Amino acid sequence: MEKEKFLEEFNRQQHRLGRIMLIAAAVLLLAVPFLLGGIYGALPDLKSFLNGFIKVGMVYIPVGIVEFLVYAPMLGNGGSYLTFLTGNVTNLKIPCAMNARDIARTEVGTVENEIISTLSVASSSIVTMLVIFAGVLLLVPLTPVLENPVLTPAFDTVVPALFGALGLKYFRKSMKITAIPLISMTLLCVLVPGAISQTSILLIPAGGMALVIGYVLWKKNKL
Amino acid sequence: MNEYLKQVNSLPFYLIVGGVLLFILIMCVWFLVKSYRAGIAIGMDKKVMRRAIMSSATFSILPGVSILLGVIALSGSLGVPLSWLRLSVVGALQYELNVAEIAATSMGLSGLKVSEMSIAAFTTIALVMTAGILSGITCCIFGLKKYLTRFQKKEKKAEGNRPGFGAYATIAMFIGLCSAYIGSYVGTWTAFKNHLPLMVAGVSALTMAVFEYLIVKKKMEWLENFSVAVSMIVGMTAAVLISL
Repeated sequence: MEKEKFLEEFNRQQHRLGRIMLIAAAVLLLAVPFLLGGIYGALPDLKSFLNGFIKVGMVYIPVGIVEFLVYAPMLGNGGSYLTFLTGNVTNLKIPCAMNARDIARTEVGTVENEIISTLSVASSSIVTMLVIFAGVLLLVPLTPVLENPVLTPAFDTVVPALFGALGLKYFRKSMKITAIPLISMTLLCVLVPGAISQTSILLIPAGGMALVIGYVLWKKNKL
Repeated sequence: MNEYLKQVNSLPFYLIVGGVLLFILIMCVWFLVKSYRAGIAIGMDKKVMRRAIMSSATFSILPGVSILLGVIALSGSLGVPLSWLRLSVVGALQYELNVAEIAATSMGLSGLKVSEMSIAAFTTIALVMTAGILSGITCCIFGLKKYLTRFQKKEKKAEGNRPGFGAYATIAMFIGLCSAYIGSYVGTWTAFKNHLPLMVAGVSALTMAVFEYLIVKKKMEWLENFSVAVSMIVGMTAAVLISL
């Protein structure tokens, strides 16, 4: 009973601190483009921002909500606040927290589990930030090399490189979901070349199609 | 040096980004200390807590290096400071690049290309990247307390059910994204005779296939941390070699 009371108080504190931290961090993150724009007299263009944000939001707001609904129960209170702030949810924080729980042999819903999850995500975030910081220090002297014109094709094709790798990874997960969106998008771009420059718009029907097919297959228990 | 790259790699920008990251680092330390003290207060074994911290720390070194490779991949077009910020907090490589590309095309650029970028385009792209990924944070601010309280109550009832659609929804969404991009690379090749994007995507996918083979068949799960970043770097290297 005492432990339950402690958990209640501990959770209350974590929610308060977590909310304050996230609000402050969101304000700071949003301020960065304005601060840089202020220095160079080039503030973000509101019209272009809204145009881009609508397209991005259509895809990534649902993804963000789904990630929140799926992963928050695995991470607990403190773990969720830190994870959704520091990112790399599926590739790092979830496996890390699960691993720590296995080591500590804690059970979901207990105060011990809450504490271990928070310790795990916090230490993972600190280490990741420090590794990246050390790397950035090394990267600064390399900047002139990275800006060499010979390397321009590499950085101009960074998006195809990403989607080649991700495509294989995700297509393999479910060929049943993949077939129709992939074939239809390819045919559309081959037959209507004007669509190629509108990839940001193509994402919406392609994502919608994949979601509907995925949902139908899931309903029929065929995934 | 290109004027745009000089501006996005300037010292003031490093200082701004460093300040924001320092705040987030302090918050992580704060949560760590508070939780550790709470553990001691309820009589948890210090050794167990330290093992959890150490294992999480060592577990994170390799993924940290792979995220760093992502910073290198992004830095050529968005500069080091923004790449450092975006990949240290909130985001992940696949999100950042995709959103930057969408934002760039929405502004009338042909893509995320250094030759077309300006500091004005950059600040708008950076704002789209930041605002577009805040949905997880917003959900936490307004909904985490209620959601977790309700979820914990329902947990027992849900035992034995198959996984919900949520787990598949993210996969489906990414399949849709990848389909649109791969389709556009095929179209770029057939319509404009520019085979570079498709070749790079192909090399990157082949490298990923090798990784998948090693991870799945040879049980080398630790490679998972590097698969996307290394595949991308191999694809990008192929772009340089093809263009020579």
